[in-house]
Amino acid sequence: MNERDLDFQLIQRIQNGEQQAFTLLVRKYQNRVANILTRYVRSSGDIADVTQEVFIKVHKSLPSFRGDSAFYTWLYRITVNTAKNYLTSQSRRPPASDIDAMEADSYDGSDALKSVESPESIMRSEEIKRVIMETIDRLPAELKAAITLRELEGMSYDEIAKIEDCPIGTVRSRIFRARDAIDKQLAPLLEE
Amino acid sequence: MTEINEQLSSLIDNENVESKSLDALIHDKEQQDVFSRYHLIGDVMRNETALNIDISELVMAEIAQQPSLATVTPITATVVSEKSDNNVVSFMKRFGQYAIAASVAGVVVMTSFITSQPTLENNGIEVLNTVPFGGGVSPVSLQANKGQSKQALQDRHERLEALLKDHQLQLQVQP
Repeated sequence: MNERDLDFQLIQRIQNGEQQAFTLLVRKYQNRVANILTRYVRSSGDIADVTQEVFIKVHKSLPSFRGDSAFYTWLYRITVNTAKNYLTSQSRRPPASDIDAMEADSYDGSDALKSVESPESIMRSEEIKRVIMETIDRLPAELKAAITLRELEGMSYDEIAKIEDCPIGTVRSRIFRARDAIDKQLAPLLEE
Repeated sequence: MTEINEQLSSLIDNENVESKSLDALIHDKEQQDVFSRYHLIGDVMRNETALNIDISELVMAEIAQQPSLATVTPITATVVSEKSDNNVVSFMKRFGQYAIAASVAGVVVMTSFITSQPTLENNGIEVLNTVPFGGGVSPVSLQANKGQSKQALQDRHERLEALLKDHQLQLQVQP
């Protein structure tokens, strides 16, 4: 299976009228879209608004999405176009060069945001990051390896099983236990 | 709950995209929150997020106010409806052909009756018309003019042939 499977199933459901499935696409990609927008939009308040606009456009355009490219590539194009329209509406020039979808994933927008973000939101973002990374550091070695190979290397369960020399079911269990341990620390923080 | 979250975890990794798991996720807000947090963990690990935002409810509220994709579906219903209309039109066309044929036949009958009405040239004596459309039989009257009768029959035949030709032409013109 590849990454497109879940997205395509969600898109098919939306195209068949199951609108609630769209909330999962928003939840999955909203932070990545916001991260791309930090290159174009300098106000954290506006980033949330433009991110919302991106997903409204995506929803409107979904009937024409044929799956010729990955959903994220398509989403990325809409994000950049929306950002440029935003800059035009603000009478600002877009950046001289665009970053592509692959570069966008590794683009760290936190520096761009620090100039305009409120101290509270900076502290909150830093706190979330610190809790997640510290929890990963405290994980047992086998859980830490499983979640790292999956999230940072993008390996499939089958590939991880071969590297770790264990059954796929064990890989599935380790990745879940790692996420569950991090989530137990993260959830109370997000509810505050 | 642990088992459900384990399924959710493998679903996020595209290792378990079962419609049952998706159904549960789409309709359970608590699971959706877990789904968001699991994705946030990955985003933070890959350094792909500078902001932690949750606009999902705002987006869904905005979408709810707009015409949904479901409203696109009635296009199919419209097509079916048009097809149905086409059937009616087709039926009307066919019915129209019969109506034209019947009206032509009616005109022939009426013309035949009008041309055989008694006139003053018959000296005011009423003549019972027993001549069928095909002709060939003289009126039952001793005072009937044979020459006139033949001429009238000739005219009637010509008109009848003209009407029949016209009718056939109209049938050929009909789609």
